[in-house]
Amino acid sequence: MKSFLLSLSIGALALFGCSGGESNTAANSSVASPEAATTSFKVALLTPGPVNDSGWSALAYEGLEAIKTDLGAETSNQVAQGNDIKESMRSYAQKGYNLVFGHGFEYNEPGVQVAKDFPDTIFVSSSGSATAKNAGAIRFYLEQSFYLAGVLAANVSKSGTVGMVGGPDVPSIRSTFKAFRAGAEAAKPGVKVLEVFTGKNDDVAAARQVADTMIKSGADVLIHQANAAAQGVFTACKDGKAWALGANLNQNDNESGVVIGSATISAKAAFLEVAKLVKEKKFDGTVVQLGMEKGAIDFVFNDKLKSQLPEAAIKAVESAKADILSGKIVAPKDKF
Amino acid sequence: MIDAVLILRYAAPIAFAAVGETAGQRAGMINIGLEGTMLTSAFVATKVSLATGSPWVGIIVGAVAGLILALLTGVFTIRMQQDQVVVGTAVNLLCFGLCGMLFERWNGATGQLLSLPPLPKFAGGLDVVLLLLVVSAVAISFALFRTEWGLRARTAGEYPASLEAAGYSVIRTQFQALLISGLMAGLGGAYYAIGVAGSFAPDMISGRGFMAIAIVTFARWKPIWGLLSACLVGYFESLQYQLQMTHQDIPKSLLIALPYAATLLILVFSGRSSNAPAALGQPYKGMR
Repeated sequence: MKSFLLSLSIGALALFGCSGGESNTAANSSVASPEAATTSFKVALLTPGPVNDSGWSALAYEGLEAIKTDLGAETSNQVAQGNDIKESMRSYAQKGYNLVFGHGFEYNEPGVQVAKDFPDTIFVSSSGSATAKNAGAIRFYLEQSFYLAGVLAANVSKSGTVGMVGGPDVPSIRSTFKAFRAGAEAAKPGVKVLEVFTGKNDDVAAARQVADTMIKSGADVLIHQANAAAQGVFTACKDGKAWALGANLNQNDNESGVVIGSATISAKAAFLEVAKLVKEKKFDGTVVQLGMEKGAIDFVFNDKLKSQLPEAAIKAVESAKADILSGKIVAPKDKF
Repeated sequence: MIDAVLILRYAAPIAFAAVGETAGQRAGMINIGLEGTMLTSAFVATKVSLATGSPWVGIIVGAVAGLILALLTGVFTIRMQQDQVVVGTAVNLLCFGLCGMLFERWNGATGQLLSLPPLPKFAGGLDVVLLLLVVSAVAISFALFRTEWGLRARTAGEYPASLEAAGYSVIRTQFQALLISGLMAGLGGAYYAIGVAGSFAPDMISGRGFMAIAIVTFARWKPIWGLLSACLVGYFESLQYQLQMTHQDIPKSLLIALPYAATLLILVFSGRSSNAPAALGQPYKGMR
């Protein structure tokens, strides 16, 4: 019996060591006076994975940091998935947060639902289409730059086979891959586009194995949506003498030296813009679409490797870019 | 196309952990902390190999980290006779937290893609650590079933009181077996970072430690079967990637689940095992 109690206390220690601080602050700020809430501007960020993923969640964190420094906001961030999403949203709203970002389409619906109970808090998700008076979404049109990446890949490929390595099989990633495929097929009809998901977020070895397998099957240009596992793809490309394309962040200067260009999101400006609207009480629950024309999305060539690429490939990307900006080409995107 | 060496390499982290865990479980010790141990060893190997520029030093220090975590686990489970599952879970939580925190401290809050010095390979893609894996599976199997130490270890897992009655120390024997488990998990984690991934990400072990525990049962507590089972799962994994490329119309999530479904299926059809050590997971409180 004694040992059972001891082991129980060890388990309890381990569990509460992680969450104890959180619940304390929740208790304190739920009774905060309305004055306190108006004088300080508080912004929270929920991400699907840790913000140290050098990718999707990392770029949201950069946005949050910008809000902190530029708007002097008090900020907090947390990983929240599945059933925890609503719980975390409620907890931030109770603490008097003015704005809660959910970085992914999976935060859209919960945000709209929770928003009903907390009219003084604005809920904004990255992607998604549901809205309410105090809930909305930023829709990053990353498909545009994935389309351009597809154009480049098809033009650079000598084998006529290119590949896409995904982490988890989720709608947002699937949508960008569709755009990549569309770009590749528009540039070189008949190009073979391989698509594999590892099913895991951070699994570097799985990403490398998939990339290895694709290169062995003849692919010579690969793009990824693997966040922190991206290095596995880059290393495989280096070993297999294939080119790679970066995603989300500018990954052109990766040590592998094989990244010829990156499809980037600049979430900083978007997050800052939304936070300003909320601070000035002008946010009206809409879906803000941000694409290349607003500078939120871009395709960036790696200047160090540009000379090794065929001139026609670079020209093809530049003309496709102009066509996207003029509206002549509309990159396909899924609704989610 | 089947590339046996590639399958062995990608299966090696799970295989190392499973072979070591077999030795531990034969002596009655369930080490739930494998997942955290592998992550910590991978992290230590990453840090050390980057600092020294040597993959070898990274792997050795990473393996030692696994040894230290097993020692810590043993102090609680063997010395203080605490519940092995609870202690193992605590070790996992400690490792996840510590590695995540230190990773952020050293690489910034938004992380960084790291690239590690690679291990030299022989022709055909084998390397020293993969050979070590095969040798250690055979050696641990021999030690468990053909030596006096192995008899003691298995007795500690079946009926520890009789080991004590014969004049041997249950504590010492279980510690030895647990240290083997920690050392092998440490090797697996360190090899994952340096030999397989060539990088580190805070969540990259992705359940391999837990898979290893499942494989021990699946392989009927036999080290060589553990190695082969890990390779079988690895084979299904690589088959699944091939299928994703050739059959774009099959839902990806179905194929991603294939290795796990296949493992479960084999487990169902291979019947119930009678090999489980009788005193597995029970703290030994001495003769009464």
